[in-house]
Amino acid sequence: MVAAFEASAPAPEPFDTLACDLARYQAARIEGYARLCRARGIDVATVTNADDVPAVPTDAFKVTRVATFPPEETHITFRTSGTTIGTRGEHAMRDVATYDAAAIAFGRRWLARDFDKPAPVVVLGPPPSHAADSSLVHMCEAFVRAFGAPAPAESTYLVDGDGVLDLAAFDERVAIALARAEPMLVLGTSFAFVHFVDAVGKASFDLPHGSRVMQTGGYKGRSREVPPAVLRADLARVFALGERAIVGEYGMTELSSQFYERTLFDEASPLGVYAEPPWARVVPVDPDTLLAVPHGSVGIAKVIDLMNIDSAVAVLTQDQVRRVGPENTGGFELLGRAPGAPARGCSIAIDELLGRAGG
Amino acid sequence: MVRTAAHRIADVRRLLLAARTILEKRADLVQAIVESTGLSTEGVELALGSHVELEATDEELSRLVAWAGDVSRVAVVLSANVFVGALRAIALARAASDDVVVRPSRRDPAFARALVGAANALGDTHLRIDEALDVAGVQAGEIHVYGRDETIADVRARAREGVRVRGHGSGMGIALVGAAADVSHAARALADDVVVFDQRGCLSPRIALVIGDEARALALGDALHAELDRLGATIPRGDVPKDERAASSRYVATMTYACRVLVGSQHAIGIAPPGAPLVLPPPYRHVHVAACASLADAEQLLAPLARAVVSVGSDDLEAARAIVPPWARLSALGRMQRPPLDGPVDGREAKLR
Repeated sequence: MVAAFEASAPAPEPFDTLACDLARYQAARIEGYARLCRARGIDVATVTNADDVPAVPTDAFKVTRVATFPPEETHITFRTSGTTIGTRGEHAMRDVATYDAAAIAFGRRWLARDFDKPAPVVVLGPPPSHAADSSLVHMCEAFVRAFGAPAPAESTYLVDGDGVLDLAAFDERVAIALARAEPMLVLGTSFAFVHFVDAVGKASFDLPHGSRVMQTGGYKGRSREVPPAVLRADLARVFALGERAIVGEYGMTELSSQFYERTLFDEASPLGVYAEPPWARVVPVDPDTLLAVPHGSVGIAKVIDLMNIDSAVAVLTQDQVRRVGPENTGGFELLGRAPGAPARGCSIAIDELLGRAGG
Repeated sequence: MVRTAAHRIADVRRLLLAARTILEKRADLVQAIVESTGLSTEGVELALGSHVELEATDEELSRLVAWAGDVSRVAVVLSANVFVGALRAIALARAASDDVVVRPSRRDPAFARALVGAANALGDTHLRIDEALDVAGVQAGEIHVYGRDETIADVRARAREGVRVRGHGSGMGIALVGAAADVSHAARALADDVVVFDQRGCLSPRIALVIGDEARALALGDALHAELDRLGATIPRGDVPKDERAASSRYVATMTYACRVLVGSQHAIGIAPPGAPLVLPPPYRHVHVAACASLADAEQLLAPLARAVVSVGSDDLEAARAIVPPWARLSALGRMQRPPLDGPVDGREAKLR
């Protein structure tokens, strides 16, 4: 499917067929998933519509193993960042080749399709050796390998093990890229960029013409929180880029696919609208009934991810989304994490226990 | 006039008498509380009939008075607690001062209003309601605030210098079912603790740790399922808001996948996979049951959540005391929602400050 996408060829099999086949495969190997299907009244033997495939809540990745294979076959385990109560979700993989192929193919489409040669790629994050269980760091490493010109790790991964950002190394990479007139790709999380913006202050780091920035993820208390539009404007100013060169990425540890804003290559695409690869679909669902909401309505994201071959073909997130534009091709808006239920009494609310604001 | 301990106890006793008078003619009050809380009529009746702390010994009240101290003025901010909690909150304030002003919860003001009105009718002129009380305007004494951590932090930030803020945050209860407990008896008692206020109180048990193997946890879950079904018939759960229904759907799906869940028409019980980190289920009659091979395992499992634990119910209080935070109230299962009137229900302020 990834190869067909890269060749701009039709998908070898319909999405729904593959999703339902994967649901059958997973239900046959994971007792918990079979149980979930039965509880939701879904007969996986006969299901034909991907939207009907029951989704596994991301919380399940924190309390049990979500995998079709035995632990001893695990090649790598990605872990979510910790919460105040210390629980971390785990996503085990026995083969990352599929993950990498899909990530690179879709990343290239929306971040690097115009690169005609390896480009300077820098990551405002730690090197893989310091964050071996981070799926984001793994993906960035894959992008460095796929799109990047050779460069030492210390001038590619610019946050050290203590979380300190190496602005001097960044300055040097930018200077070289400017001298060679090579557009750069800068990858980082929202909180890393906030630290960067704070460190730079009113100064700027003009990037070479044609450069672009991929920013992803929330804050999780690791920096002050900045509204997305403000951060985009800040980054555009600091890097002397147009706002459409600041590309949002949406992904999570529990998924194997990512989603991107189309702003860099699709002039008609509004800011804040994310594209899906042909192997993943985002379905807004009612958080109570878990059924799809009408097109254009806000729901929580149920992500059907055909790259989650060995884990959960459908994942229920806690992020609010809304589909926009044409029903199958328009994309979706990301509206932030669904607020938890507020306390009605003095019994502690889940969000308060987890140290998340609001609710 | 010097307020001796005896005077203070007498003032609190007059407040208890006021509470008794409003409970004796409570039809209108019940209706108002049903409307403001969404609890069922039977649920409100249960709370008013069995969970208002009218019977306090002198010894208990002596402890309450000692906790309260002596203050020129107390402003009580009731932003979030269960409705009967207003009695304890006002009792603490009244024990502390001859000048008490109460700002009731906007969402749930009926019980506090009625209580203060009844106390005034009994001649207590040192107690009044101020629905528009601004904490920044409190010039001296103490502010007792009941609410989320954020609310307490906000009040602390806004309080004037020299005004002491005593915060009572949200929390939860847990049950510890000891190795020797009869799980059927434990389940019956635990169900009683769960249904009160539909688990919206900080004493409400939301997690049950069972010493033993997974089969024992399952046995408790099955028994609790039956007991909650039985109680649901006579004390129906109140309205569950949409966001809480969503939290329930998510919890049920998670536990269905992870191990096992028992879903009743008005409750759900999740059985945790062995050794898994604890999950906090939503309120509204959800209980997360986890097997622990030993007390040490229970302590380790509980550790990440310990700061939120306000009360512990157990058949084995000695074992429970050994593993729970020092501030937690201990009681027998079935008695978790009946704490003696001897101070705030939440002991964290005294232990943590």
